[in-house]
Amino acid sequence: MTSIDEFRARARAWLEQHAKPFDEAAGFDLEGGSVPLEESKRFQKALWEAGFAGITWPKEYGGQGLGAAELIAFNEEAADFELPTGPFTIGLGMPGPTILELGTEEQKRRYLPPLLRGDEIWCQLFSEPGAGSDVASLQTTATRTETGWLINGQKVWTSGAQFSDFGAIIARTDPTVAKHRGITMFIVDMRHPGVTVRPLVVATGHAPFNEVFFDDVEVPADAVIGEVGEGWGAAVVMLRNERVTIGAGGRARSNPLGFDSLAELARARGLDTDPAVRRRLAVLYARESALGAYGRVLHEETTAGLQIGARGSAAKLAGAELALWAADLAQDILGADLALGAADLERVVMAIVAAPGGAVAGGTNEIQRNIVGERVLGLAKDPGVDRNTPFDQLKLSR
Amino acid sequence: MSLIFTDDQKSLAETIRRFVAQRTPLPKVREVIGGDLAYDPEVWSRLAGDLGLAGLTIPEEYGGAGATQADLSAALRELGAGLVPSPLVACVLTAGALLALDDEEARRDLLPRIAEGGLVAAPAVSEPGDRRWIPAEPVTTATGSGDEVTLSGTKVAVLNGAEADVLLVQARGPHGTGLYLVRSPADGLTVRRDPGVDPTRGSATVTFDGTPARHLAGDAVAALDHVADLANLALASEQCGAMLACLTMTTEYAKVRYAFGQPIGAYQGVKHRLADMYVLWALSDAALREATRAADEEPEKLGAAAAAARTLTSPGYLTAAKDTMLLHGGIGFTWEHDAHFYYKNAIAGNVLAGDADYQQDRLAGKLGL
Repeated sequence: MTSIDEFRARARAWLEQHAKPFDEAAGFDLEGGSVPLEESKRFQKALWEAGFAGITWPKEYGGQGLGAAELIAFNEEAADFELPTGPFTIGLGMPGPTILELGTEEQKRRYLPPLLRGDEIWCQLFSEPGAGSDVASLQTTATRTETGWLINGQKVWTSGAQFSDFGAIIARTDPTVAKHRGITMFIVDMRHPGVTVRPLVVATGHAPFNEVFFDDVEVPADAVIGEVGEGWGAAVVMLRNERVTIGAGGRARSNPLGFDSLAELARARGLDTDPAVRRRLAVLYARESALGAYGRVLHEETTAGLQIGARGSAAKLAGAELALWAADLAQDILGADLALGAADLERVVMAIVAAPGGAVAGGTNEIQRNIVGERVLGLAKDPGVDRNTPFDQLKLSR
Repeated sequence: MSLIFTDDQKSLAETIRRFVAQRTPLPKVREVIGGDLAYDPEVWSRLAGDLGLAGLTIPEEYGGAGATQADLSAALRELGAGLVPSPLVACVLTAGALLALDDEEARRDLLPRIAEGGLVAAPAVSEPGDRRWIPAEPVTTATGSGDEVTLSGTKVAVLNGAEADVLLVQARGPHGTGLYLVRSPADGLTVRRDPGVDPTRGSATVTFDGTPARHLAGDAVAALDHVADLANLALASEQCGAMLACLTMTTEYAKVRYAFGQPIGAYQGVKHRLADMYVLWALSDAALREATRAADEEPEKLGAAAAAARTLTSPGYLTAAKDTMLLHGGIGFTWEHDAHFYYKNAIAGNVLAGDADYQQDRLAGKLGL
């Protein structure tokens, strides 16, 4: 047995003893809070103590100091189980790796071990009401004080802000230079009295995100991640990690808009023999299985040490388009049943309502098309009329 | 279990790509299809013989190389990208049918000659008035028995029917649907080349009138079902290659063509369409990799996987070829530009060996719907 096989076997044994088997039929956790926070923290701590948290992170910051092969082995084994680690996903996937890459020695020693141990939870604060697709036009300000910085402004679409201890925030530190150049990234204490968190209710009626308000929130000078004025570069590092985080996603719950579900829905209505419905279901299968294969191709290439570049954006775009297409098919299969609102249709109806969200969250389809066009195909960048204009002379949404 | 190309596949693809660039680039293809021949016999002889494509997936015991469907697919992508006219697909399908049947004598006789490129063979299945590629109840009939069998009927859209030395004909015989071997020329055999929309692909209408034939032993229905899978793999492979050629050509143009002071690729009206073309290609490419993987490792999944790949690739290629013309603007609509050859190839390829409805119905059936 190789050391990878041993590691895999050890992970499997530990998961079998400590985690619940994956339940494909379980409902979606639309609020992100169905598992008690204390249980998540206990589980994360146990995971760390067993040597399965921060698998590829250096030992001096609480990690295991192992390679990508061990991480992949663990993720593959973990896909068969329910890991109640949701509140740590953001911290471990985005601010954590960014601090690891750009943080000071003090920051790494202070923040990474408690994150891995499950003691501290993190959120990420980028989007603003006036800065969505164009995040670099953000208007939250950080102004210098004698001892550090004073943050004022509003962030939006923040997952987990209500239970976070720290946040990674980007704010404008110099409005007199071009928008990409006057931004700095900070570590902010989410327990500061100037921080107000309000749930953000979305179209489905659920509140998976928050709005966060900053009123004179002080942060010390050593809260800067990377360099002052280099926050956009730090944000790009973090977003790159976001795509890896999303791309690494384990096993999918049975999708209410997936082929299996919609074929069953059609069967229950005697529509599986209807030629038009049958053909659309066949196309759904073809698109769904191709997207799965595309994900496996990217995964295999990553494992083989090849660069997948921005192709994750193509997968994201294809997935969002497929969900919208499948939502149309689901509506046509349900027909007038949609108006009845029966209890057994709640999941599929909710998925139909939620489908547009996937085409907006994490970068709209239009932004993904820009990314695919520019970074995969190498086309010229958008004319970008504001690229060299000082931020304080730009027209902005408020 | 891998979906990424092996070193052998990469090297085969590179060899074919170089051969296409040197021996049969698009200006050369124009010359060939402007003439009387469906393909350049010299190019075919090199492809079949030196490069070994005709016998690539034929087992070694019958004179082939015993390579995988994934290997063949890698080569077909390059031929599709160059719109290279050749009877390779017709030969591959016929060889596949012979291997799926149970007629050792026919295998020993035909497969080695197909493998060396000395024999062009084509399946003849579609019939006039029946929109399905493989008719469930063929009107073409076989009468007589033993050495005295003759065929009567008409087959349409026979790939390289005019160039074929042997035809594998589906017909209704005394014991149900069977496959019959006809050697060309033969008594009562009339072959007429179709003036089809795609000049890079030769097809013919073939009429049998008391034509001598030999019945092939084996389950014809199962063999033809397998041929449909092989056709889906082959066409999806060619189309995936052609789609990538369209994407590459149009992307390059969008980088060098200026309008309003910018390369046109800077504008979202162009950029987003190219991004969509990329996604269409990427999904088709992934579906094809999965289908060839199934062919080589999980044959029970081939039917659905091949139909799924074809369901995406043929309409996807049509969209890509159409957008290639549109995004090139005026020049893309000229005879001088190559875009119209891809467009015509895509139009024909979308209905060849089963149109979109046929493929979707086939896929639904394979999925148990």
